[in-house]
Amino acid sequence: MLKRSFTALALITLALAGSALAAPKKVTGYGSLGIVNGKAGGTYTLALGDSPQSLNYYGVIDNNLGLVAQQLFDGLMEFNLSTYKLEPALAESVAVSSDGKTYTFKLRRDVKWSDGQAFNADDVIYTYQNLIMNPEARAGDPGNFKLDGKPVEMKKVDAYTVQFVLPRPAPAFLLQQRYFIMPQHKFGNVKGAAVNNVWPSNTAPADIVGTGPFKLTSYTAGQKVALTKNANYWKVDADGTKLPYLNAVEFLVIRDPQAQVAQFLAGNVDQLNVTGAQFPDLKQREVSGAAFKVFRSTALFGSPPFVAYNFDAKDAALAKLFSDVRFRRAMQGALNRDRIIDTVYNGLASLPGHGVAPVNKDWYANTKPQLGKFDIAAVGTALNALGIKDTNGDGVRNLPGGKNLEFDLTYGTDSSVYPALAAIIQSDFAKAGVKVNLKGILSSKLLSTGQSGDWEMILHAFGDQPDPELRKPIWQPGGALYYWHRTLQPAVDGGTPNLAKMFPWEKEIYGIFNDAATTTSRSTRKALYTRWQLIFAQNLPVTPIAKPENIGAVSNKFGNYIYNLGVIPGYNPVPLIYQK
Amino acid sequence: MLTYTLRRLLGMIPTILIISVVCFAVIKLQPGNFTDQYLEDPRFTRETADAIRRQLGLDQPAIVQYGRWLWGVVSRFDFGYSFFQNRPVTSVIGELLGWTVLISGLTLLVSWLVAVPLGIYTAFNRNGLGAQIANFLGYVGLAIPDFLASLLLVALVLSLGGTNVGGILSSQYIDAPWSWPKILDLLNHLWIPVIAIGLEGVAGLMRQMRASMLDVLTQDYVRTAKAKGLPQQKVIWRHAVRNAINPMISLAGLSLPALISGTIVASIVLNLPTIGPMLYTSLLNKDQYMALTLLMMSAVLLLLGNLLSDLLLAWSDPRVRYS
Repeated sequence: MLKRSFTALALITLALAGSALAAPKKVTGYGSLGIVNGKAGGTYTLALGDSPQSLNYYGVIDNNLGLVAQQLFDGLMEFNLSTYKLEPALAESVAVSSDGKTYTFKLRRDVKWSDGQAFNADDVIYTYQNLIMNPEARAGDPGNFKLDGKPVEMKKVDAYTVQFVLPRPAPAFLLQQRYFIMPQHKFGNVKGAAVNNVWPSNTAPADIVGTGPFKLTSYTAGQKVALTKNANYWKVDADGTKLPYLNAVEFLVIRDPQAQVAQFLAGNVDQLNVTGAQFPDLKQREVSGAAFKVFRSTALFGSPPFVAYNFDAKDAALAKLFSDVRFRRAMQGALNRDRIIDTVYNGLASLPGHGVAPVNKDWYANTKPQLGKFDIAAVGTALNALGIKDTNGDGVRNLPGGKNLEFDLTYGTDSSVYPALAAIIQSDFAKAGVKVNLKGILSSKLLSTGQSGDWEMILHAFGDQPDPELRKPIWQPGGALYYWHRTLQPAVDGGTPNLAKMFPWEKEIYGIFNDAATTTSRSTRKALYTRWQLIFAQNLPVTPIAKPENIGAVSNKFGNYIYNLGVIPGYNPVPLIYQK
Repeated sequence: MLTYTLRRLLGMIPTILIISVVCFAVIKLQPGNFTDQYLEDPRFTRETADAIRRQLGLDQPAIVQYGRWLWGVVSRFDFGYSFFQNRPVTSVIGELLGWTVLISGLTLLVSWLVAVPLGIYTAFNRNGLGAQIANFLGYVGLAIPDFLASLLLVALVLSLGGTNVGGILSSQYIDAPWSWPKILDLLNHLWIPVIAIGLEGVAGLMRQMRASMLDVLTQDYVRTAKAKGLPQQKVIWRHAVRNAINPMISLAGLSLPALISGTIVASIVLNLPTIGPMLYTSLLNKDQYMALTLLMMSAVLLLLGNLLSDLLLAWSDPRVRYS
């Protein structure tokens, strides 16, 4: 089963070990993204949705902290900004053994922390062992360092080499090593739950030390987080000029999205990510001469919305219907994707993939034919064939027991797209004789509501990632986030899911994810994930609606802008931005 | 008077205790967990949720959690930790208290300074054009919620090419030391919230004052004062206003909690560094000690406001002396 591709692995090692030792990393090859050599200076102001809750990335899961931390810290690996391929970052090179179980990272020797101390293997070992793998750290990731219940071993080979030994091959392992490395000399030897108390938000800025392009200069609660250039940063541009170009990056705390737009229009914020709904207004201003540009980008990341039906709905008749793939397929015909893309996203979205973004060339399989067409008459025929007809002539179809086919659609009210989507779905389903009642909740409660099982139909979204392995808890039946079929979840955490209750297609997907997680052969994984996407598209555990484009607006004062979704560790184009 | 005040202060203790129990129970009864907000993060697992619950003491029964909090408050004046920020609630609130008191205090002051004279004016000139205009503007102010007024003002500033569209300071002054340009910049930002939030209160207060004034003006002693030829000013200020102001004093006491919770939506829209939005997020995410402490602050302010207004009333009106 495990076909090991020695040549492929040898190639990875070679490609990653390309540059000479003890030299800064040269950032080149982004001509296709319009990147030119910039000039030094300038202050770039961004918006932050709220004050970061702490300054310790591993102490709290907080998007706003993530945005700031991205400029302060680096990981061993990072993404190529144009191809999304992995490149070494704080690591100079990485070698993977032929059995796919040993990863040896050679670290850069020239990297200094922003306070001038040398960066070395002790920092990496400390960060992994006491922060990332620490089950008491509130924002660690210990789950990724236990494979089949066995721990990943880590050791220091020498001052600039660290090695991970995995109990079994895990092809997505390298992709995960974008974790920010923290300075051991500042954390001391803090262990266990105490790590959460390091670097609260009122820590003196000089104590927050990183390897990133910027360092903290001030934190004013509720107002601003200010960073200045880290003179010790380890990247240079094509000409050998030190990065970042900017002198300073400032984050203004602006809670309300409308207020963020107002601040952007007033010139107080230099860059903003916006939604399709805000696009026409901004674009119009751009065209009529405003000093900014609006960019559209079909980026890989981003959360495409879907609808799901609760296979375990409390109402037994509904549960039976929702579990029936013929029903889910029939109702897909009542989803007017073109109208949604047109009216909700102002045309700034495309047809969705199934678990993989269409722009993700590595893994995407073309499932467009399975999306079907919007055809209410065909929905009617399919529902008639299921025996669901309007028996009492009230315009709503009836379930076999005589009850109306009527259910709740749970959606997030505080969103620019969910309410509009929900309204369109409600009206189109009604045309097919299916009565949908809208049930609005806060978007932040969608997942917990989904997991509670207290819903019938839900409108929700999960983020796309470069490798399907990273989304396994969502798409593998029995996974922690596979909440539309909750009865599959294992009795104890980490146990085997309830295989007996899986549909045959779910069992197959379950097997695919297990196989793909241990196969190091890329072609085998590609074949497996292609099969998964096709099964997904045919059986619709959830029904994807659209893949929104990412839209960013940036002031004309700045050059070298590359769209960045937000917190994607290892994807940071800000060092390249310069003030014209 | 002193014994009265002391008695009132002591009487507050059981009230505060009951309020804290009710607040805590309400926070606890809210569905969901503090850790729910993290579920979507790929790093978050059920083990992490358990670890966090254990670290925060959320695995203990609610009564134990409440008891520990209360004991902390009573024995060490420790209001617990903010789950969110992982540091004491008091230090988190302290950072925002200055701005909150400044902004809320200023808007309250403006409301009163505008409303009371307008109330008096409209009572005396019931049918005059000025009163009609004041009434109309008052109703408009009342009808437009503060956040909408804020948005309208922001849109106006924006269309006039201004840059002071929210926040309390321009970016470059936020972490700068105090100086004249910084104060000017502050004033340049402050007028929007003061007008938007302050004006909303004006109409209500103005109507109260007017009604109360009209009541007094029909009283015999005002007619007598007029009849014996006292100058108009003296009739107004000495006889009418002094009596008409009593209900306003009671109202003033009740408006004290607005210092904390009065400006939540406007603060979010106008991006003000006040406590309001923090109360909102802490309630939403079940940051229980933060929410509880803020609700208690609000309750204590209400009780103190009531006491203060009673004392003021006693001072201003000899008929209401508590001895």
